[in-house]
Amino acid sequence: MLRITGGKVYDPANGIDGVVKDISIADGRIVAAVDGGRVIDARGMIVFPGGVDIHTHVAGAALNFARAMTPENHRQATAFLHTPERRAGLGGQTPTTFATGYLYAGMGYTTVVEAAVPILSAKHTHEELRDTPIVDKGCCVLMANNEIVLDLLEAGEIERAKEVVAWLIWAAKGYGVKAVNPGGVTAWKWGKDAKTLSEPVVGYSNVTPAKIIASLAHIVDQLGLPHPLHLHCNNLGVPGNVATTLETMKVLEGNRAHMAHLQFHSYGGADWHTMRSEAAAIAEYFNAHPNLTCDAGAILFGNAVTITADGPWQHLLHQLTGKKWGNLDVENETGCGIVPYTYKGSNLVNAVQWAVGLELLLLIDDPWRVFLTTDHPNGACFWRYPEIIHLLMHADVRRERVKKLPAKAQSRTTLGDLDREYSLLDIATITSAGPARALGLANKGRLGIGADADLAIYNEKPDGELLFRYPRYVIKGGEIVVEEGEIRKMSEGREFIVQPTYDGAIEEYLRPLFQQYYTMSFENYPVELERLEGADVRQLDGHG
Amino acid sequence: MGGKVTCTLGEIKNRADFIVYWGGNPAECHPRHFTKYTLTQKGKFVPNGRKDRTMVLVDIRETPSARAADIFLQIKPGKDFEILTTLRALVKGHRVNEASVAETGLSIEQLRDLADRMKQARFGVIFFGMGLSMTRGKHMNSAAVLMLAAELNAFTKFVTMPMRGHGNVTGSDMVMRWSTGYPFGVSLCRGYPRFNPGEFSTVDLLVRGDVDAALVLGADPGATMPQPGIDHLARIPTIVLDPKVTHTSRLARVHITTAATGISAPGTVYRMDEIPLPLRPALVSPYPTDEEVIRRIREAVAKKPAWAQRPAAMAPTN
Repeated sequence: MLRITGGKVYDPANGIDGVVKDISIADGRIVAAVDGGRVIDARGMIVFPGGVDIHTHVAGAALNFARAMTPENHRQATAFLHTPERRAGLGGQTPTTFATGYLYAGMGYTTVVEAAVPILSAKHTHEELRDTPIVDKGCCVLMANNEIVLDLLEAGEIERAKEVVAWLIWAAKGYGVKAVNPGGVTAWKWGKDAKTLSEPVVGYSNVTPAKIIASLAHIVDQLGLPHPLHLHCNNLGVPGNVATTLETMKVLEGNRAHMAHLQFHSYGGADWHTMRSEAAAIAEYFNAHPNLTCDAGAILFGNAVTITADGPWQHLLHQLTGKKWGNLDVENETGCGIVPYTYKGSNLVNAVQWAVGLELLLLIDDPWRVFLTTDHPNGACFWRYPEIIHLLMHADVRRERVKKLPAKAQSRTTLGDLDREYSLLDIATITSAGPARALGLANKGRLGIGADADLAIYNEKPDGELLFRYPRYVIKGGEIVVEEGEIRKMSEGREFIVQPTYDGAIEEYLRPLFQQYYTMSFENYPVELERLEGADVRQLDGHG
Repeated sequence: MGGKVTCTLGEIKNRADFIVYWGGNPAECHPRHFTKYTLTQKGKFVPNGRKDRTMVLVDIRETPSARAADIFLQIKPGKDFEILTTLRALVKGHRVNEASVAETGLSIEQLRDLADRMKQARFGVIFFGMGLSMTRGKHMNSAAVLMLAAELNAFTKFVTMPMRGHGNVTGSDMVMRWSTGYPFGVSLCRGYPRFNPGEFSTVDLLVRGDVDAALVLGADPGATMPQPGIDHLARIPTIVLDPKVTHTSRLARVHITTAATGISAPGTVYRMDEIPLPLRPALVSPYPTDEEVIRRIREAVAKKPAWAQRPAAMAPTN
C-alpha cells in the first residue's frame, strides 16, 4: 500500500490539469483510499501517469543484428554496472535488454510497444522482451508483405485472409498488426520496391500497395483488435513522399489506422536539394480525419542507427552514405535493413527532417492523436525524449535553434513561425494518455480508480528537459522502481497479447502451404504461450 | 566497410538460382544443407529444384562437395582475399592486374565468368566456411566476401551467410548480444560488458593464463584449444557440464553429467540464419539439465556476501 500526497496531478484521461490531490495505491492498482502503508510526500512535485511508448524498436532479430554491427557505438554508451539488484548492460543507440528496461523506467515510462516483429523469429523477440525488466510490453506483428496473405488478396479471398491474419497474430503472440512499406518489402526480395500505391506489386497482378493497406485496415477492424492497423507508409524518407502519404490516408477512409513515424513521410520537393517540409499539408488532412492517430518519429541531431523492415530504403541509404549495411530478408514474410547514421544540423536534409517532426507535433491540433516518438533508434534514442519535450514547451528555444539551421533549410519550414507551446497536460497526453488510448490499453495512461498504478513523479522545475529527464519517483504496478534517480526494484513486466477468434480449420489450409514454402515444420512455427513471462491475454469476440 | 547482407534459409530455398559455397565442405560437414535448403528443394520461384539452380564450389582441394557442384574452382591456399578483391573489381568493371591473378590458381577468364554469372543471377548467395574465415587473412577474408555480396546488390539480388556449426553457437551469440551488446569475447570484470576479441576471447585468456577458474558448458576446449590453453585448464579449477565425458572432463576437477539438450532436456536452438527452433525432449534423463545445474550454482553463490563494493548508480550522459 502506498499513498502519494500533495503532488500536482496531471491526468488527461480524467480532465485533471494540475490539481493537488492524493493518490492511493493497493495491489498494483489505484484505489479510492488506503489505510496505512508508505506515504510519499510529493509537495512541490508533479504526478504523471507512466509513459507509454507506442512505437519503438527494443527487441528482436533486427535490433540484435544492429547490436552486433555497431560495437564501436557501445564503447561510448552509458555502462550499467552489475549490482545485487541490477544486471549489467549498456545504453547507447541500441541498448541491451536489461538496460532498456532501466532507461525507460528511469525516464518515467512504464509501457512500451515493440513495433516490428516477424512471426518466424517472434520466439526470439519474446525472449528479449522477457529479459527487458520493469516495463509492460506488447508487439506489433509484420503482415503487409506476408506472401500467404498477399496470395489470398490476389485471389480475392478476403474472408480467408482474415482468418489467416487472426491465426498469425495468435501464432506470434502479438498485440497488433504492423504494415511496413506494403508490397515494397516483397518486391525487395527481387531487388525492387513499391513506389506507387496503384501499380501491382512485383510478382502479382491484382495486388497493389493500396489494396494491401485497405484490406489489412479492414481486417484489423473486423477482428476488433484494440489497436488499429499500425502503418509505415510506402516511400519512407524520400523527397516528395507527401503525395504517397496523403493518398494512403485517403485509402484508409472508413477504417481506423495509426500512422507510424509520420515525420519520415511528410516531405515535399523533387530531390535531396529541393526537399522541404510538407508537415502543414499532412497536418491539415490529418486534423480533419479523426479515424487516424500518428506518432511523430521526430529526429534529433546526433548518432542514430536506422533499423527498419523497409529493405529497399536501407539499400538506398547505404548507397547514399557509404555507411555499413545490414540486410536480413525473412522467408515469405518480411525483411529488415540496418544502416548506422548521423543526423547533422548543418545538413539541409537533416535540418528539414528535424523541423518536420516538431512541426507535426505543433500543427496537429489534438494531442490525443499525435504521440511522442523518435522511432527509436531511427530518429534518435528514446532516452532523448526529454529534449523534444523541452522544445515543444518553449517557442523561444525553438526559434533560437531554427536560427542555427542552414539558411536554405530555414526557408523550407515554418517551424520558426509557430507560437504554440505545450502545457504539462499536453505533455502527459502525448506521452501517456493518448498512446494508451490508441493502443486500447484501458488501464494505462490514466490515474483514475482501478487503473494500473504506473506513475512518474517529477520535480516541478521550469526547465522542461531536466524536469523530464530525472523523475524523483517512478512507480510501476504499485511498486517504487525508481527512487531519487536510482533503480530500486527490478520487477518483471507483463506482456499484452490478443487472441482473435478464428476457425481452427484454417490450420488445414495453412499446413500444406507452410510445408511447401517454409523451412520449419508447422508445429514449430507458433510461439508457445509458456515462452512468455507474465502473459496478459485478451480474448477478442469479433469473429475472424 | 562492414555489415552483412543476408536472409533466412527459406529465401534460398524459394528463390536462389545461383549458389556459391566457399571454403566449406557441406556434403560432409552440413550433410542436409543441399537437400533441405539449397540445391534439391523445389522452391516457390525455382519450381524445378536442382535444374533451376547453378552451384559453384570454391576450395583449395577437391572435397566430396565438388561432386554436387556444376563448377568447381580450385584455388591456391591463402589466396581467398586476392580472389575476392579481384571479383569485386570485375563486378564493378574495373581493370585488374592479370599477372597477379595468375598466383591465385584461377585464370582471369574463370574469374570473369564467375563475376558475370553472379551479376546475371536472379537471386545469388555465397555460403562461406572456416576454409575462408579461419585461413590466412581471417576476418579480412570475411569482410571481403561480405562486401562482394553487398556490392552485387547494385546489379541483382545477392546475399551471403557463414556456414556455422558446433551445436548452438549461434544461440550463444544471440543471447550474448541482447544481454551484453557483443557476440563473444566479452569481459564483465569491471561490472559492465567490454568487448575485445584477441584480449577477452576464451582462447587468448587461457593461453595467457589470465583466468583462475573455468566453467565449460557445451564445448570441449580440451580437444580443440592450443596446448598452452589446455595446460592452463588443467592447472586451474575447471568444471565441466556435459552429457558425456569429454577431453576437457579428463583434465577438470569436477565433471557434472547433465541431460542432453534436444534428447532429454528442452531448450531452444538457433539455426545458422539466426532463427530459433524449440527443442522437445523425446526421452527422460536421470540427470539434471544444464539450466538447473547453473541455477543451483547461482543460488549458492548468491548466498555468499558480495566481494565487491556496491558501485554508485549511473545516469545517461550522452
